[in-house]
Parts: sequence; structure tokens; C-alpha cells
Amino acid sequence: MIPTKPIQAASGVSRRRLLQAGAATFGAATFPLPAIAQTKPFAGVTLHGASFQHHFFTLLQNYIPEFEEQSGMKVDLQLSAFPVYNQQANLELSSGGSAFDFVNVTFFLAARWVAAGLLANLDEFTSDPNLTPAEWNPKDFVEGAQVPYCDAKGATYGYSWEGGAMVMGLSRMDLMEKKGLKIPRTFAELQQVCAGINGTDNVNGFVSFQLHHWCLPPYIQGFGGNVFRNPPADVMPTLNSPQAVEAVEFYANLLKNYAPRGVITYTEDQARQSLLTGRSNILIHSSSWITPTLMSDESKVKDTARIVRMPAGPVHDYPASNSQGLGIPKNAKNKKAAWEFIKWALSPEISMRLVKEHGHSSICRRSVIESEAYRRLNTVNGQDLGALYLEVLELPAKGENYMAYRTVKEFPIVGDVINKAVEQVVTGQLSGRDAMNAAQEQAVANLRRAGTPL
Amino acid sequence: MTEEGSIEAGRRRFNRWALAPSLIVLLVIAVVPALYLLTISLTPFQLVNPGSATDFSAPLRNYRLLPGDPRFVNSLWVQAKLSFWGVLFQVLLGMSLALLLHTRSRFVEFARTFFLIPMVLPPIVVAVIWKLIYTPDISPLYYAAGLLHWTMPSLTSSVDFALIAIIVADTWEWLPFTFLMVLAALQTIPEEYSEAALVDGANRLQIFFYVTLPFIAPVLVISAMFRLIDSVKAFPLIFLLTGGGPGSITEVTNYYAYLLAFDSGEIGYSSAVTVVMLLLVLAVSFGVMWIGRRREALT
Repeated sequence: MIPTKPIQAASGVSRRRLLQAGAATFGAATFPLPAIAQTKPFAGVTLHGASFQHHFFTLLQNYIPEFEEQSGMKVDLQLSAFPVYNQQANLELSSGGSAFDFVNVTFFLAARWVAAGLLANLDEFTSDPNLTPAEWNPKDFVEGAQVPYCDAKGATYGYSWEGGAMVMGLSRMDLMEKKGLKIPRTFAELQQVCAGINGTDNVNGFVSFQLHHWCLPPYIQGFGGNVFRNPPADVMPTLNSPQAVEAVEFYANLLKNYAPRGVITYTEDQARQSLLTGRSNILIHSSSWITPTLMSDESKVKDTARIVRMPAGPVHDYPASNSQGLGIPKNAKNKKAAWEFIKWALSPEISMRLVKEHGHSSICRRSVIESEAYRRLNTVNGQDLGALYLEVLELPAKGENYMAYRTVKEFPIVGDVINKAVEQVVTGQLSGRDAMNAAQEQAVANLRRAGTPL
Repeated sequence: MTEEGSIEAGRRRFNRWALAPSLIVLLVIAVVPALYLLTISLTPFQLVNPGSATDFSAPLRNYRLLPGDPRFVNSLWVQAKLSFWGVLFQVLLGMSLALLLHTRSRFVEFARTFFLIPMVLPPIVVAVIWKLIYTPDISPLYYAAGLLHWTMPSLTSSVDFALIAIIVADTWEWLPFTFLMVLAALQTIPEEYSEAALVDGANRLQIFFYVTLPFIAPVLVISAMFRLIDSVKAFPLIFLLTGGGPGSITEVTNYYAYLLAFDSGEIGYSSAVTVVMLLLVLAVSFGVMWIGRRREALT
């Protein structure tokens, strides 16, 4: 009996059991409920995120359905205009709200939010192998781009999705060659090239835009000064130092004498358009605004354009850089789900797909930037734009963190004063010295009013 | 109580109940936010320091700082200039236009409708239109000047012209308001008065000063007061055209309050600026009501 039992069982049950087993297999394959529960731990979760409108998110939205399919959660990503988003997010986080599970940590708000404890410490997620696999590698993010999202103790509160490296775009190298002018490497040469080109073929020598608190500091630092005495430890403004005065006079001179009429009201779009159409020869701004000179279909100067490091000052060579990061509000309701999203959105795989499938280059993962595919896509007219981008982006993390001035929570107050001072000098309302003395006085008064101990 | 008195009391009670929903809505949408604004203005509330929203240790600190803040003082002065010139041009041009178009013809009726367009456009659209006009690279104005070999300065970035540029745009937007008001007033003047004056030998100018102007004067005053109150709302034009610059040449008080709140995160101080602005507007509003009552008393 014993030996026959299996046989009986095998033979007796074979058809029915086989059918049952088949049905069970079919059912499991069709309705894998237990499997969902295991592989989709966030099923039923709706994740609320917010950022400003940016090409990165437009592209990312194409991939989000894949993430939703994998994770089981639904992603509700709210995108607003840049100023609208910043105001809304600032109010939401400052008031301790929990409307968002993840947010964009805008560069100039990063220090405020980190200092005020409004963001969750992401090290708690990256240090847990159950939450973050080793391949995700937080160290892969370019260190210079990560500086704003780390506190004094080195804890991380955001991971950068966008890097901005200040570079110089020249649209009319043909004119420069005709005039025997070389690419300027120093501030003095920059002034010479602007003077040499301005007015030739109706081309302006230089163009800029109204965010002077972004454009001016590299000149201040180039001449050896700084915005604050020793940020982040000492935030006493130093706007009336001889170096800052020299810088504002130098920069205002470029705007006054070599830029298009009305340049102080120019938006970034207007400045870029002026460069892309060849109406202005030089624009110094973040790489994502300059690279379209070589890569965009809109550009009329693809054959005559060059993109290089911004000129060095007599003392320092400190091109500005910034980044935008993703973080989790301290009071977010779905922190783990939010981390799952951030981990996915900033994974090497998605970063590489953005590069390969959309040519999106302003990402912050070193392994991707240094990859062959990235280099191939970002080398135009023999210019390796990726290498230039990486070189500038990582500068603040090498040696002195010269971008620290922009990551302190006091910067917006001082930045507003800088804008006014530059406009006053460019329009001849005040001399460089008087404008910067007034700016210093105003900055100190405003910071004291805001409760900053100086 | 007599029966008449009881009916009167009932009517008053009914009136109070009928008004109650409107008063509640008004309370929720106007009074409560205003009280909140006033409360916050008594704190040093900073966005980076949420706890400061309940710090009432020095409630008048913000108000004490205001007179010593050169940008605030300057912003009041800029607002005064903008309001004065803007309202003056709107009243004078609106009245002139109404006098010109106070005739009966199909063309004039069409023209009247046409002149109303700027007022019904959303303010931000008006700002975009003037941004196009004032941007040298793309403006037809600058193109025409170029054809005449005249190099026009950039109006919105010029110290001499930036505020004028805003006044022109604001006048263009709101001139139809005074135009409409004056036109309506003109249509109520009995024609016999002008005809009698003509028979008495008065010329057109005398008819205007001695017949028409006395009739439309109260409307002109009321229009001017309304526009004065509204002139504080030139925010979209300033935001888009000049950003308050160059320097602080076009920085009016509400734009300064905006920068304080949303660029610098100084909500408490910004609220104090706004409260002062609110008080000024209230003063003008009471002026309007006083003029209205005085007019009623006179008539």
C-alpha cells in the first residue's frame, strides 16, 4: 500500500490535482495579491510633492508611471512657477505644515530650511541598507552640488537633481577672430574683448540680467573680497570693502558701456535670447542657460559660439555654482514613501536615461557625468561641456567653500540690497563707493532688524 | 408699545437678520484677515523662525523701526508721486475724452466701447503689453524711433523715465474709468442749460466752465478719490516692468512689503508696513465717504 499510495495519489489525483494546481498557478499569475503585498509596500499611498516648473520634472513625469507601477503608490507632483513655488513652500514648511511629502529644496532656501530644522535628515535613510541599497551610493553626487544640503556636522538634508555651473558663452567668435581678440581669461581681458566687439555688426559686447546677487559675487571674490566676512560662521556683510567696490564698478562698467539698452531689466530669458541670436557676444551664467548656444535649434550662432570658464579675477578664480535638491519636510506624513521616490528619481538608472533619451545634462551624479555616453552627447564642436560643467560644479568642495555666502540664511536679505546697489551704479544714481557704503549700511540694518546677531 | 412701534421694531429686526449673512461674509473675508495682519505686525515673525509668530514681547518694535527705514519712507514718497500724477492724468484725460465723445453717432459709440478695453483687461495682461512696448529689442516704439534715427533710452531702466513709464501704463489702464463716470454725468445734464447759455451769448469755453463743469465736478472728485484708493494697486505693472528699480525709483509701499515678506521672509515687519498702508487707504476712503455725504447734504 505504501508504495502504491504515491502512485495512487499520483495516478488518482493526477487529473484533478493537476487541474487544481493549474488553476492555482493561473490564478496566482493573474491575481498575485500576496505578491503585490510583498513587492508593493506602498500600495494605496498617495505621495504629495512640490517643486517649481523645470525641464527635469517635465521629463521625469514621463517615467513616473513606471515608478507608480513598481511601488504601488500614486505620485501627486505639484509644479508651480519659481517664485510662486518658493513662497508657497517656504510658508508651508515654516508653519510646520505636512501637505508635502517631498519638496524641492531651492538653493537659496536650503540653508534657512536646514538651520531651522524644517527638513528630515536623509542620512537616516541612506545609512539603512534595508532602505537604500549600496549601489545607490550617496557619495556619487558631486560634492560641490551637495554642499548647500549639508549642515555643519555633515548631515544631509537633500540630494541634488540639478546643477548650475557658471560658465561664459561667447556667440561671435568669428568677429573676435577678425579683430584678433582671444577668449578672455582674466577680468582685464574680458573688459578688452567687450570694448573690442561692442558696436561691431550691431553686436553688444556683453549681456546680463537683473539677478545681480548671482552675477556680482564672482567679481567681488575675483578681486579678493566676499559678501560676508567669513560665512557661514561670521555673516557680517562686507559690501563696502575696497574689493567689493572695485567689483561693482567693474561689473557696472560692463553693463553701462557694452550691454544692450535696458539690460538692468532683462530677465534670464531675454539675456539668453540675446546671446542665442548673436545680438550680444558674451553672457556669463549657469551652464543650463549657456549650453543652448551650441545645442539648441533656436541658436543662430551654433557655428561661431564657444563655451568656456568665466574669466578669473586678479586674486581668485571663483566661478559661481548652485544646485537644486529634493528633500523631505520634517513633518511629512509619508517619509519612507517620499524617500522611495527620491531614491528612484535620482537613481543612476533614471539619471542615465534622462541623459540618453532626452539629452538632459545638468544632473549631479558623477558616474553619469563621467560616462562615455554623457561625454559623447555633450561634446559639441570639439568642446567637452560635461567636463567643464563638472570642473566648475566641484570647485566649492575643493579647498575653500567659496559658495558658502549663498547658502547662509541671511543671504536673501543681503542679495536684495546688492541688486539695488548695482542698479544705482549702472544708472549713475550713485558712485560705486557710495552705493556699496549705502548697501552695507542697509544690509546691516536689515539683518539686525531680522534678529541676526552681528 | 403701540402697534406702529411694534411693526417698526419688527422691520428693524428683519433688516438686521437680512444683513447678517453679508456681514458674516465680510467679517470672514475682510475683518478677520485684517485683524490677523494687525496681530502679526506686533510680532517679529520671521519665516525661518516659526516660533516668533507668537512673540509679543516688543509689540511696537516694527512700528518704531518704520520711520528710520529709508526704503519705507522712500516707498511712501514714490507711491505719493505715482498716485498724484496717475490720478491727475486719468481725470484730465478721461474728462477730455468724455467731452470729445459726448455726441450721438455710430462711430462714436463704437469708439466708446473701444476705449473701455484697457480697463477690462486683467492687470497682468496690461503689464505684459507695456513690457513689450518698453523693451527696446522688440518694441514697435523703439523700431519707429530707430527709423527716425533717434536713439531712445530704455524707459523702464532710466532714472528719469521709469516712474513716468509706470504712470503712462497706469493711466492707459484706468483712464476708461473716469471716462465712463464723466460720460455718464454728462448725459444727465439737460440740454436746455447749454442752449440757454448759447442764446445768452456764451462761447463753448464759457459753457464748459459755467454750465458743464459745475455739473460734473462732484463726479470728478469721486472718480479721483476712487482712483486714488485704487492707485495703490499698481503692483503688477511694477512687478513686471521695473521690479521697483532702477534702485528704488519705482519701489512703492506694497512692492516693498512684498519683497520684505517673500524675499526676506520678514513677515512681521512686512505686516507693519502693510498696516500703515491700510490706514492711509482707510483715511482716503473716509475722505470719499465724507465728500459723498457732504454732497448729499448740499443737494
